[in-house]
Amino acid sequence: MDVFMMLAPLIIIQFLLMIVAIIALLKTEQTNGPKPMWAAIIILISFIGPILFFIVGRRQY
Amino acid sequence: MQWITIFKKELLEDWRNFKWVWVPLVFIIICIMDPLSTYYLPQILDAVGGVPEGTVIEGPELGPTEAIMFSLTEVSMLGVLVIVAISMAVIAGERKSGVAELVLVKPVSYFTYISAKWAAKLLLVFTAYLIGMLTSWYYVNLLFGDLSASQFIGLFLFYFIWLIFVVTLTFLYNTVVKIPGLVLTLSLITIMAMSAINQIFSFRMPWFPNSISEHITTMLAEGAIPNDLWGAAGITLGLSVILLVASNFILKTKEMAD
Repeated sequence: MDVFMMLAPLIIIQFLLMIVAIIALLKTEQTNGPKPMWAAIIILISFIGPILFFIVGRRQY
Repeated sequence: MQWITIFKKELLEDWRNFKWVWVPLVFIIICIMDPLSTYYLPQILDAVGGVPEGTVIEGPELGPTEAIMFSLTEVSMLGVLVIVAISMAVIAGERKSGVAELVLVKPVSYFTYISAKWAAKLLLVFTAYLIGMLTSWYYVNLLFGDLSASQFIGLFLFYFIWLIFVVTLTFLYNTVVKIPGLVLTLSLITIMAMSAINQIFSFRMPWFPNSISEHITTMLAEGAIPNDLWGAAGITLGLSVILLVASNFILKTKEMAD
C-alpha cells in the first residue's frame, strides 16, 4: 500500500502526458504518418510514445 | 520593444505546441524515475517474482546526496536529449519555412531575433528543470533523508549553467544548418565528443564544461563549493556567450536564400 502511494504520482503523470498527447493529436491537422498509428504509439508505449509524438509526430512547418 | 515581441511570440508558440505542458511533465518523470526505482528495487523484484525463496535483496545504502545525483545523471542524458530536441527547429525550422525571412525583413536585428528566442527557450528549460528537480528533492527528503536547501540550490543552479551551454550550442547549429534533424545530430555528437574528451583529460582540464557534475558531487560531499566548480562554471558561461555571439555572426553571413 505504501509503495503504491509513493509510485502513484509517477503513474498519474505518465497518464497526464498521454492525455495531453492525445489532445494534441486530435487538434493537429497534419501528422507525419497516419493518425491511428500515432494514437497506438501514444497509448501503447508509455512515456516514450508521447515524447516521440511531440518531437517528430507533428508537421510544424 | 521588438525584443519583447519576439520573446512573447516564442512563448506563445511553445504554449500552442504544448511544450509548456509536456516538457515539465517529462522532466518530472526523468528526475524522479531513478531515485524511486532504486529505493523500491527490492519490492519491485519481489513483485515481479522469479527470485528464489529465501534470497535476501538489499538495496545499496544511499544517502540523500547520492540519490539526488541520480536525478542529475538522468537529466544529463534524457534531459539533454529532450532539451536539444525541443530547440532543434527554433531557427532552422523558421529558415526552412521562410518565417525567419518575414521577421528579419523588418528592422529587427539578428541579435534581437536570436537572443529573444534564446531567452524564451531558456525560460522553458529552466521551468521544466526546476519543477522536475523540486519533485525529486521532495522524494529524496522523504525516502533517503534530508538534503538541505542550500545544497539543493547550489546543485540546481550550477547544473543549470551546463544546460544553458547545451541550449546555446543547439542555437549555434541552428544558424549553421537548416535541417532540424541535422541540428539534433550535430549537437549530440558535439556533446558526446566533449564528454569523451573530458573523461580522457579530466586531470589536465579541471575547468572543462563537462566536469561540472563531478565538481557538484565534490561540493555535496565536502559541503563547500570547490574552486574548480567556480572555474568550470565561469568557463561554461563564457563559452555560452561566445557561442551566442558567434551564432549571431553566422546567421548574418548566411543569407536566407541559398
